[in-house]
Amino acid sequence: MQKKPKYYFQINPSSGVPVYRQVMDQVKTQIALDHLPRGSFLPSVRQMSKDLEINPMTVSKAYSLLEKDGIVEHVRGQGMKITQGPLAQKFLNVSHESIGPLLSEVITKSKQLSLTVSHLHKLIDDAWDKEN
Amino acid sequence: MENIIVVQDVSKSFGKKTVLDHIDLIVPRGCVFGLMGKNGAGKTTLIKSLLGLVKPTAGRIDLLGENPWTLSDRAKEQIGYTPQSDQLYSWLTVGQLLNYTASFYRNWNSKLVDKLLNDWDVDPQDRVGLLSEGQMQKVAIILALGHEPQLLIFDEPVASLDPMARRQFLKTILEIVSDRDCTIFFSSHITPDLERVTDQVAILNKGKVDFTGGLDVLKDTVKRLRIDAANTLPADLNIAGSLSCEINERTAIITVREFNDALIHDLTNRLQAKITVENLNLEEIFLELNA
Repeated sequence: MQKKPKYYFQINPSSGVPVYRQVMDQVKTQIALDHLPRGSFLPSVRQMSKDLEINPMTVSKAYSLLEKDGIVEHVRGQGMKITQGPLAQKFLNVSHESIGPLLSEVITKSKQLSLTVSHLHKLIDDAWDKEN
Repeated sequence: MENIIVVQDVSKSFGKKTVLDHIDLIVPRGCVFGLMGKNGAGKTTLIKSLLGLVKPTAGRIDLLGENPWTLSDRAKEQIGYTPQSDQLYSWLTVGQLLNYTASFYRNWNSKLVDKLLNDWDVDPQDRVGLLSEGQMQKVAIILALGHEPQLLIFDEPVASLDPMARRQFLKTILEIVSDRDCTIFFSSHITPDLERVTDQVAILNKGKVDFTGGLDVLKDTVKRLRIDAANTLPADLNIAGSLSCEINERTAIITVREFNDALIHDLTNRLQAKITVENLNLEEIFLELNA
């Protein structure tokens, strides 16, 4: 039995980014951070669809595109195996980029509320501590 | 059969009123298909035409490879349908109603029905006539699921359900499509639900199909662009497929329905501008397309 990998997926179906792309980006991020080490397996399409409560076709689409990108390979009877090692810089770039639009949303809202940047820092610090 | 439903050039008029206007639609096997449209856009008429409950004025429909107007018993056995509002026998208990319905089918799955009653918090002892609208809708959906059909059609299945029951409904849908070969077609206004479970969508607008295809394709092609130009922008930006356009001297916000990299490249050069692309969610896209 493979050890169950430690991964955190969060999908926001209403974010405007297609859900399959969110799945792909997050798999890449999890690999980059070594939460999904080389040789481990992605959850099955069925499992992922159940956990995230999204359409299994969407998960399949994300998986087959990841396979096309050479990030996972399909092992018959076992599922999708991670072929990439951790901290591949190009994946991290992808994940950093994905923060950009979210940040600019936060910044716009903060400006509307006349928050100072130090106040915003504090809010982020507090939220960060709460998550950990 | 690759496509469970094929609609070709279908129109329907009631007297002088055209409700469906040259509709083309394909529902591939195994997909979850979401039908959207404003009130009066023709959703229910389309669903009834698919099922052979309304006869189109023109055009052709294939449902499970057959003409819906002369559907065989074998095909009917493979379809589950919940109308927008159902007239259920009010004097029966839920349990009696389920038993009665089960007697029409060879392949009724009582185990599944019992599980759903439990999951969805419906008491089989309750009398149908005394159920709330939401509970009634749950029963109507369970009635459509009991014979494990190949095709499920729901007209506004979640309209009167509370958020918990809606979530339970979506979960059930996902379980069904993961576990067995089943195609689901439903109409809804609740865009976050559609975004979660559908992979194909169609948007009806005044009886015409405004978009039909993958939800991902829709989200990848309808985008909002923010333009920051060095100079005052012309009054007409001349962009193919723009849905809305708001120009304010050197800045503009436009929504386009055929986004691609070439468009960005063209605009950047032509207007000497910095362009930011914003993703839109389904509700925003729906509003833009219906504006």
